[in-house]
Amino acid sequence: MPAADTAEHLSSARLEVKRACDLLEAPNPASLEASSSALERAISGLNDCRRGIRPGVTNADVRARVRQLRAELRHAGRLLESAADFYRGWERILGAMSGGYTAGGEPAPVARTGKLYCQG
Amino acid sequence: MANILSSLISAAGALDAFTQALDVTQNNVANAQTPGYAKQTQLLTAMPFDPTNGSTGGVRAAEVVNSRDQYAEQAVRQQNVLLGQAQQNVTSFTSLQSLFDISGNSGIPYALNNLFTSFSAWGQTPTSTDARQDVIDSATDLANAFRQTATGMTQAAQNNRSQIDQTVVQINNLAGQLAAYNSQAMRDATPDAGLDAQINSTLEQLSQYVNFTASQQSDGSVTVLVNGQVPLVIGDKTYALQDEPVTPDPTAPNPGAPPTMSILASDGADITSQVTSGQLGALVNLANNVFPQYLGDGNNAGDLNTMAKQFADCVNQLLTQGNISDGPPPVAGVPLFTYDTTNATNVAQTLAVDPTVTADQLAAISTGPPEVSNGVPLALSALADPQSSDDEINGASFTEFYGNMAATIGNDLNGANNSLQVQQSALAQAQNLRQQVSGVSLDEEAAVLLQFQQAYEANSKLITILDQLSADTINMLAITS
Repeated sequence: MPAADTAEHLSSARLEVKRACDLLEAPNPASLEASSSALERAISGLNDCRRGIRPGVTNADVRARVRQLRAELRHAGRLLESAADFYRGWERILGAMSGGYTAGGEPAPVARTGKLYCQG
Repeated sequence: MANILSSLISAAGALDAFTQALDVTQNNVANAQTPGYAKQTQLLTAMPFDPTNGSTGGVRAAEVVNSRDQYAEQAVRQQNVLLGQAQQNVTSFTSLQSLFDISGNSGIPYALNNLFTSFSAWGQTPTSTDARQDVIDSATDLANAFRQTATGMTQAAQNNRSQIDQTVVQINNLAGQLAAYNSQAMRDATPDAGLDAQINSTLEQLSQYVNFTASQQSDGSVTVLVNGQVPLVIGDKTYALQDEPVTPDPTAPNPGAPPTMSILASDGADITSQVTSGQLGALVNLANNVFPQYLGDGNNAGDLNTMAKQFADCVNQLLTQGNISDGPPPVAGVPLFTYDTTNATNVAQTLAVDPTVTADQLAAISTGPPEVSNGVPLALSALADPQSSDDEINGASFTEFYGNMAATIGNDLNGANNSLQVQQSALAQAQNLRQQVSGVSLDEEAAVLLQFQQAYEANSKLITILDQLSADTINMLAITS
């Protein structure tokens, strides 16, 4: 694959990860769902791009774009992790509020029996 | 008649209740942009209704409920403290990086390169007075460059200490405001949404500066502990922080080294290690770890001084081992560089060319055996690409050692910039989450959490795959850095 095509694939993958980052800034379930799709598209794009790379052959532009993609990935990972931390803490609070504490002093698991979640 | 009266009483009560509810809503709208304000909700309560015993029913206004969620507030403050730290790091490392030019067009690398060139030119014409004078001029330029860089860094370190002073004052001012708000909250029997907004806005400001935990007390006050351990505000009392320069111990190897900084609690206890993030955390880290790496401390000379001393010593040693003339009797050379030999952390700032040295005092003849007429300048120019570990610093040539110093600051700045960008997003995210959490029912949250868990797991897997793919790509491209 020509270096220009590789660079374009990398840029597309980065744009998808950036889109996921934007969505993760307001991490409600719907935006998380949408960010999954963006990340899947990034994986697909990166896979296409890797097929065209010959090992050991380097190109300054391609190198720069891989680094940018990695920085964006770290950004997405950090946002996902902080959102997950937040919800984990919230789940503990919710568990304690709804079910009290276990014998070990941990908040009770959130009881979800009888709940049905539907999405149209 | 009684029924009509009951209806009127009930309707009047309802009107009062709805008026209050409307007032609360109006207040919410009016304060939509007020920093720290959280939505208030007017609860309504149904009155007993039993026409047989005269209970007229209807609705009455109950208490006003604050939608603020302390967990969400704490999450925002946690991200804000990291943002404050990243912002400070970017500002400080940007100013430090300007002192370390890596383009080779100015500063130490430019002067060093010129000096090596003049050594080489002298080697080709060892008896030339002009070539010797060029060496003296280039050496003077290099000494100036070392002094300028060291002075710039020392000035930056002093600015950093002043900023620590100012930040501590700001923290104490905000703590004083919180203590005053606490006093008001403890006096007022009923919760005041305006006061609550002021307290939370002040806590958010404080979180830019230092890491702390805040907990709401039953008397309406907020207790603030630095790093969750050191009292800053309890009730209407402020426990002011102080900062103090710490000079090296007189028995330390470098007693004249620049001071480090410590942060003290109101009782004088050293809490420097508790100040881990926020603007103050970043400034303390710079004062106690970053600047000493270059300028030295009680135990280490600092990279800039180490380089200046080792280079000056190498040049002086080669010159003094050589001869100016064969004689008889042979005349030995003189050292070129001088510096403060009493303080290892003051070498770069005092490095100079001895003003009494003249061009004809530079020794060109290496005594050997065999004696070489241009042996000294050749050995001096070979310092650019050292063959012996004596001419290296920690295995690196002088140019490489300088490059490593500059690269470290460049990497630190790069990391701080990335961190700032990520942290701005993380703060926006926490603010969005706070917005989502406030006023949401537990049932709604339980459903959302279930959905979130699944989405989180799926996204984590995708990130892992992408990370692996990009790592493989990097390996395929043979990217080394």
